[in-house]
Amino acid sequence: MFLVFALITLLGALAMFRQRNVVVAGLCMVLTFFGVAGLFVLLANPVAAALQIIVYSGAIMVLVLFVIMLLNSHEEEPAQSGRLVQAWGGALLAAVLGVGAVKLVLQSRTLHELGASPVPAPITLNKLGVQIFSEHLVAFEVVGLLLLAAMIAAVSIAKRKL
Amino acid sequence: MDSFARLLHLSPPLAWMALKLLIVIGGVMGIAAVLTWVERRGAAMMQDRIGPNRAGVKGITLLGLVQLAADGIKFFLKEDVVPPHGNRLLFTLAPALAFVPAMLGFAVIPFGQSFSSGGQAYHLSLLDPGNGMGMLYPLAIGSMAVYGILVASWSSNNKWAILGGMRSGANMVSYELGMSLAVISIFMAAGNSPVGSPVTLEAYDPHRIVEAQEGLWFAVRQPLGFLVFFTCMFAETNRLPFDFAEGESEIVAGFHTEYSSMKFALLQLSEYIHIVTASALLVTLYLGGWRIPFVPNPGVLLSVAAFLAKLLFLCWVFVWVRWTIPRFRYDQLMFLGWKVMLPLSMANLLLQAWLMHGRGIA
Repeated sequence: MFLVFALITLLGALAMFRQRNVVVAGLCMVLTFFGVAGLFVLLANPVAAALQIIVYSGAIMVLVLFVIMLLNSHEEEPAQSGRLVQAWGGALLAAVLGVGAVKLVLQSRTLHELGASPVPAPITLNKLGVQIFSEHLVAFEVVGLLLLAAMIAAVSIAKRKL
Repeated sequence: MDSFARLLHLSPPLAWMALKLLIVIGGVMGIAAVLTWVERRGAAMMQDRIGPNRAGVKGITLLGLVQLAADGIKFFLKEDVVPPHGNRLLFTLAPALAFVPAMLGFAVIPFGQSFSSGGQAYHLSLLDPGNGMGMLYPLAIGSMAVYGILVASWSSNNKWAILGGMRSGANMVSYELGMSLAVISIFMAAGNSPVGSPVTLEAYDPHRIVEAQEGLWFAVRQPLGFLVFFTCMFAETNRLPFDFAEGESEIVAGFHTEYSSMKFALLQLSEYIHIVTASALLVTLYLGGWRIPFVPNPGVLLSVAAFLAKLLFLCWVFVWVRWTIPRFRYDQLMFLGWKVMLPLSMANLLLQAWLMHGRGIA
């Protein structure tokens, strides 16, 4: 099952990069989100999976696609000249970052403790709520404030005359 | 149940799963198909017409029901036109994108009382209780339904189609907020299973929500939430008065202007399946699911019949409203969604929280 969802995620991401049509690329990204949601379910966190689909695929990507569809050009133009240095440099950087991330994860202490500890119970909405409102209350409030600020900024940009 | 499974050479859980799949898929598709007939006859009834009554086999018309078969055959024989400048791949994919979410949403709905046979409990919902997703699953899947319309409208490369798609996309995203908040107050009212019950279910599990409606239905306890959710369901299914994907007087047939043949049939069918799923959600969340008033344990057959009766009634309400209330204007729709439904939903949430606090529950 892990392989299936990992493949969906990776192939979706790859297709998104290779796709010249922006709308199709967006839909490939939705596919990737679904793969990630599947991985969340495998990690005993169905709530995160549901929220991933509701928030990212159901709301954010819809709005992004919305904007793209309103624009006139949906095809990416091919580059006028191949930029070899940037291409290889980007690939190299991505490879270094990837290796670094894998190394960090493999070295982390929690990973070694994972095998020894019993399988955790699935996260439920109740547990999530208790966690947010007890341990992460400050972060939660800060995020709320940030969203409010963003909302006010958006309104003030969109509405010249208040 | 055991003997039935042995008959099929399957283990009881597997046989039960297969049976449930058959019941749900067959049932939902069947109701949706008949709904197309109900809609046309109902429309005719309300407009003082006769409606479809001519198609028949050797003079047997069954009140026009044969028209369904005639339509089906006609759809199969029609030419399948793909607009030349649209996106061919997405144009073909869009009906499936509309159909699948409409169908999937039904998976968690308990359509009857659980029973046990041979020492094993059987639940009348495709996903067993305690799956961790609960009511979040139909919300998640329901939010996917907008892609069918958006993709269909964009890939058609047609002005009217894209206008319809944009309008209904904005419509569906706007009403999702009010709907979700209404559902959250249901979760609060349901609460987790009391300590000491045989199975502990989370508050957002549909089986728990039905269980919690043993006394009063949530429609009685949260009339405001019911009103908001009911309205939002009309918006989510793109039915009149929120029929912005189509709008014949303004944008021809809206998002399916370019569709023909079986692709059109699939789009049309998915609208009716959406109605069935939306009605099922309403029944489960607000009308007590399979419960019958004053009958604590109705048993399997009676409970399924009760669920079906409520479901069919709500499906009829969808048709009824369509031919009663005219379409909103676009700005009225946005006003209603953001400035009426969302504040009402929030007020409902706060009111329920306050009431629960007053009773000392939390």
